[in-house]
Amino acid sequence: MDMPGGAFEGESHRPAQSYWNESWERLRANRIGVAAGVLLLVFALIALAAPLFSQFVTHFDPTRQHLLDNFRPPGRPYLLGTDELGRDTLTRLIYGGRVTLGVAFLTVALSLSLGSTVGLLAGYYGGWLDDVLMRIVDVFLAIPAIFLFILMSILFRPNAITLAAIIASVGWGGVARLVRGEVLSVKQRDFILAARTIGARDVRVIFRHLLPNVLPVLIVAASLGVGQIILIEAALDFLGLGIQPPTPSWGNMLTNAESYFFHSTWLVVFPGITIFLTVLASNIFGNAVRDAFDPRLK
Amino acid sequence: MAAPLLDVQDLRTVFATKEGVVKAVDGVSFHLDAGETLGIVGESGCGKSVTAMSIMRLQRPGRVTGGKVLFKGRDLIQASEQEMREIRGKEISMIFQDPMTSFNPVFRTGWQVAEPLVLHKGLNRMKAMAEAVGLLGRVGIPAPAARARDYPHQFSGGMRQRAMIAMGLTTAPSVLIADEPTTALDVTIQAQILDLLRHVNKEFGTATILITHNLGVVAGMCERVMVMYAGKVVESGPTTDVFAHPKHPYTWSLLRSIPRLDDELHEPLRAIEGLPPSLVELPGGCAFHPRCSFMVDRCTKDIPSLNPVGETQLAACWVTQSGTELAHG
Amino acid sequence: MLVKFIVRRLFASVVVVLGVTAVTLFLMDRTRGAYVPGIDLNPALRPEDIARLRADLGLDQPFYVWYVNWLWNVMHGDFGRSMIDGSPVMTHILERLPNTLELTLTAVLIGIVLSVPLGVIGALRRGTKTDHSLTIFSVAGFAVPQFWLGLMLILIFSVTFEHNGWPWLPSGGVTSPFGGGDLGDRLLHLIMPATVLSFFYLSLWSRFTRSSMLEVLSQDYIRTARAKGMSERRVVYLHGLRNALIPLVTLIGLELPGLVSGGLVVEVVFSWPGLGRLAFERALQYDYTTVMGVVFFTTLLVVAGNLLADILYAILDPRIRYA
Repeated sequence: MDMPGGAFEGESHRPAQSYWNESWERLRANRIGVAAGVLLLVFALIALAAPLFSQFVTHFDPTRQHLLDNFRPPGRPYLLGTDELGRDTLTRLIYGGRVTLGVAFLTVALSLSLGSTVGLLAGYYGGWLDDVLMRIVDVFLAIPAIFLFILMSILFRPNAITLAAIIASVGWGGVARLVRGEVLSVKQRDFILAARTIGARDVRVIFRHLLPNVLPVLIVAASLGVGQIILIEAALDFLGLGIQPPTPSWGNMLTNAESYFFHSTWLVVFPGITIFLTVLASNIFGNAVRDAFDPRLK
Repeated sequence: MAAPLLDVQDLRTVFATKEGVVKAVDGVSFHLDAGETLGIVGESGCGKSVTAMSIMRLQRPGRVTGGKVLFKGRDLIQASEQEMREIRGKEISMIFQDPMTSFNPVFRTGWQVAEPLVLHKGLNRMKAMAEAVGLLGRVGIPAPAARARDYPHQFSGGMRQRAMIAMGLTTAPSVLIADEPTTALDVTIQAQILDLLRHVNKEFGTATILITHNLGVVAGMCERVMVMYAGKVVESGPTTDVFAHPKHPYTWSLLRSIPRLDDELHEPLRAIEGLPPSLVELPGGCAFHPRCSFMVDRCTKDIPSLNPVGETQLAACWVTQSGTELAHG
Repeated sequence: MLVKFIVRRLFASVVVVLGVTAVTLFLMDRTRGAYVPGIDLNPALRPEDIARLRADLGLDQPFYVWYVNWLWNVMHGDFGRSMIDGSPVMTHILERLPNTLELTLTAVLIGIVLSVPLGVIGALRRGTKTDHSLTIFSVAGFAVPQFWLGLMLILIFSVTFEHNGWPWLPSGGVTSPFGGGDLGDRLLHLIMPATVLSFFYLSLWSRFTRSSMLEVLSQDYIRTARAKGMSERRVVYLHGLRNALIPLVTLIGLELPGLVSGGLVVEVVFSWPGLGRLAFERALQYDYTTVMGVVFFTTLLVVAGNLLADILYAILDPRIRYA
């Protein structure tokens, strides 16, 4: 029941909170979301410290083959078993995480930078620039993503960085549209007019005034997109169009799964579950971020 | 004296909220005779709508925790859901504040007006539609046969409300509950709708409960009026008597706060000081006492009961019950 | 004016299509200088033959000449010839297209048929264990890699079942070599890939139906319906669901352009002879012309689909025509 509490003198006064503080508070209150975020962080840290893990925990090199020990089930000393060439699964998973997570974050970074720049410019200046930029965006959005990936993968042999660029080449369009829409609605607001009236230059208006207000939308888009990007990256690797062996990645560890999945099921299960958990955690965290920064969408 | 058509006795409805239990309806009693019009007046949140919804047993997620609602002798609170469905839309009808959102946007208006006939009188679709068209005409909608085929968004606000009233009357119910029927309408249309309601009451003999926060509406429409505050009835009686000499400080303040043409220029408006209380944390004693100019010590301790004050009125106030007259204070 | 709107959108679409051709052809241009057509079939080609083959495919001409030629051919329905065996790309496309559509449309159908009841149940039993399980299920469904799910299903229902002597599901292809190709056989082959593909739709649409339903059930007209004394079932299914399904239809419509390409991974895992797998196989063989033809064809479908949808919306909602 919404009854006004009564603003009499002597009443305690809630301290003013900025939007960022409020959002952060909301995020922190979401325990499941925070747990998911922590899990992601743990995975990322493990991946970053891969060489340390390899040296001190598993004692194996990700590409070192132990041919006499191939297809060993989980146990000692191969904690999660070995693959067809006797390489330790756990170590490969950890190094694979480096690749997958690295590509995912790089993709998000590229996609957001390019997308938001285009979106900001198109939304702010409007006119012919807007038309041209949006037509370019349309072109990239019209090509079915997976085909574009295939095309680019066979043309540019992908390493981690180019793979990120390839995946970002499809995603940036969506970001650009999103940012442009947000800019169009923020542009109408009076504080933008005020900034221009006092003579602020365009660059200043865009970066100092527009961008901070568009940021929430970007944050939400980024956090929701990471999961999908990881899935795409894994699928490309699986198809052989992404990171090539012997560099391990969660996807390419499954490329030949059909040939051994009957007798060495763990080799298929572990990478898959790892992908699943990582994507699940980033989806849940992404949802939590969205709920925290844009509660009206709830 | 004939038994009243609707006899509400000590009705209590609560809502569980994060902040605590809200006693939305806290011991409300009143009666409604056949064919009469009763107005329920009060501010937003005083419990008037919840009272109506409780009578219809549509108060979810709230819970009725006590009291009786005797309709034609039967206690509706004890009735089964099946039995209630026989009563809703058939013997007791309810129409709501905003006709735009209260109509289903994907069905034609005529069909929605005809639906109660199909549900309760077992008419087939054609016959029901024919009757609905007739009813639409009687509530003042021109070219009713064509309008019946229109969708709700194609109607103007006033026409929609008329259609809504028609929908409430298709089954010739004994009671029509109108929850803020004019609040969402332009002032000029308001008058027309009130005329219609008055006309309906006379012609169909439907007892009407009119819920509103607008005293002017009550004055024009209702034979008797009931004033609610913080979930309780604070005053009731014939409209002319209550308006002429209110027996509760709240009613008195409400009436005084309406600016009059013969007021002195530059006199400050006589607003009621303070704000309505939070229903989770009610003040002790009479809920109105923090804002009352006539308050005495007892008001802070004992909750006043609704008792006769004067010949025709009931009021829940220690001050007036002890004989004090309310005057400029 | 509706006509002006259509003309404008048509023009924009044409621009987009040209843009797409430019992008894909530009990408292709990077490679044609180096590639030798037919090298996979016959590694011992003589230099004269190589020169002749390249001339045939126009690989030795400047980019703009090649581009214009290609465009001209496309406008006459000639999407080029395979770099491997010279067969017309269009033939392959038309051969494989029905298979892809069979797969994706079935997946969409499964998605719709299961999402709506699940979403409604979730909404009606909001907050209960059932609802929570359904939510967990759909959140999980988003996170499962399609190819992995496919592999696991094959592992369980094909390999393990067969190994244990139970009736098993075929792991690949559209029909069994000796199965006779009847409807039952086709359906058996369709089950697993279509299920895997529908997982994503299911997760998305069931959640969406649930929230759409919850929103509808909180509307005033639902209160009116109850006040008219009808059964709760009628309130929910007649008055409620009708309204809740409308935004779902829009959402499903958004998926339609992706129907021709979305099944690629599933097609590969299940050896399903569709357009996606065609592009994939040919890509691995560096048959650029075929890949390009497929990409361009599917993009055309996407753009045409979007154009049609826009026009349809403009017809239905007059306000859009002035956007």
